[in-house]
Amino acid sequence: MNFVNTPATPVALELIGAAFSYGHDVALDEVTLSVHEGEALALIGPNGSGKSTFLKGVLGLLPVTAGTMEIFGAVRGPDTARSLGYLPQSDEVDPEFPVSLEQVVMMGRYRRMGWWRLPARADRAAVAEALRLTGLTTLAKKRFGLLSGGQQQRGLLARALAANPRMLLLDEPFNGLDQPNREALVETIRVLKGEGVTVLLTTHDLALAREVCDKVLLVNGTQIAFGSLADVLTLQNLQAAFSGFQVEVDEHSVVLPGHDGH
Amino acid sequence: MSYLDRAMIVLTLVGALSGLVGTFVVLRRRVLFAQALTHATFPGAVLAAVAGVNIQIGAAIASLVLVGGLALLGRVRGQGTQAASGVMLTAGFAFGVLLQALNPNIPIHVDSFLFGSVLASSWNDALFAGIALAVTVVVLLIAGKQLIFAVFDPRGYRAAGFNERGMDVVLLLLTTLTVVAALPAVGAILAISLIAAPPAAARLLTSKATTMLFVAPALGVTAGLLGLTISRLWAVSAGASVALVAAGIFLVALGINRVRSGARS
Repeated sequence: MNFVNTPATPVALELIGAAFSYGHDVALDEVTLSVHEGEALALIGPNGSGKSTFLKGVLGLLPVTAGTMEIFGAVRGPDTARSLGYLPQSDEVDPEFPVSLEQVVMMGRYRRMGWWRLPARADRAAVAEALRLTGLTTLAKKRFGLLSGGQQQRGLLARALAANPRMLLLDEPFNGLDQPNREALVETIRVLKGEGVTVLLTTHDLALAREVCDKVLLVNGTQIAFGSLADVLTLQNLQAAFSGFQVEVDEHSVVLPGHDGH
Repeated sequence: MSYLDRAMIVLTLVGALSGLVGTFVVLRRRVLFAQALTHATFPGAVLAAVAGVNIQIGAAIASLVLVGGLALLGRVRGQGTQAASGVMLTAGFAFGVLLQALNPNIPIHVDSFLFGSVLASSWNDALFAGIALAVTVVVLLIAGKQLIFAVFDPRGYRAAGFNERGMDVVLLLLTTLTVVAALPAVGAILAISLIAAPPAAARLLTSKATTMLFVAPALGVTAGLLGLTISRLWAVSAGASVALVAAGIFLVALGINRVRSGARS
């Protein structure tokens, strides 16, 4: 099986006219897109435009109130939930909490392990692999709270990876990362894509979206555009999504003033 | 067996139970909430005495009313409910005092309720503490690792597909059970000393939550038995001795922690 030219890989996520709502408030609607296995989708839009809503909708934390959504060819349910991994926006964790990085990553296995069981060899192997992928192997025994913010972020990513997800949802994964951590994360995403993992991520950083993503969904409460990076990231589309903000586009990146990621 | 043997059994069971459950109370930063719980038991106990039913049952019901009330007000979270817990703490206690003043003939002594009377504890008290300990051990064997996960990172726990609120309820019920079991031994006010001090000391001495679950009960039992011995030797209140030994254990742990981190740097 060799999918160098990717169009042959199966569809991982498909939405047709989908809407997600909080109660009666529609947070995001008219979403129509398809993402193939091993592809990465960037969700781009102003704050409060529905990026995180989209991730929560895929996760099953919000109902689909219109249209349809299929994950790996199935309607969302317990089985699809098991194939998803989620990295929430950088969590504030208690820095004094007495757990090691290794133990935090092991938490990603609990769903598979079941209630009373202790970690088996397969669980320890998955944790070691997740630590290796995120470049954190040497820090395994360190107390989680003593790691830098970027290392904690990668540790939480390792926790999501330990469950061997087929699709990974990352909410603002690059926020507040320094250069080495940012590069490590980009590299990890590349490796995962190579293994056939589908990645959905929200970001304000268009340069990074260009680095690791194959497709873009531009939103502002509704779908503005979806497609390849070149097709979607036009000045016109970005102005439509970020109406009210000054948008500048140069050859390499798009600058969105006032959106440096808070 | 003498009343002293019985007291030692009760304190051993309550010390171990408080160490286990207290570990989660301390990690969850909910000590003040637990304190409020101990005081809220007071009006329940008085009402139970007025109605002529088991005092521990009254105390447990009052605790559950408090837990339910706070849960209805919103999520019971560390900082957010500090003020609410503080208000409940004093209000519950004041309500109990008032009820007691209105019913001067009930067979409940404020002193023994607040400060405990471990030497007068019955086989029923020992049985209650034993059952509470057994229930807690079973719950921790089944869901201990999930409880640590939920306390460490509630949002991550939910994102991993678990029910975080369910874990919160389990923890609140275990805390209530512990407070009510500790009542006869050390009393409502001093119960918090066994719930907070041994786990806080264990936390200073160990770097893993799982290790705390062994060290904290051991320290809790030590505080109980050493406190009882001291109270016998010097003929002072057992509850107060236990609370002071628990505080002493915390101070020693703090000293060891300081010496260690001093040696490291």
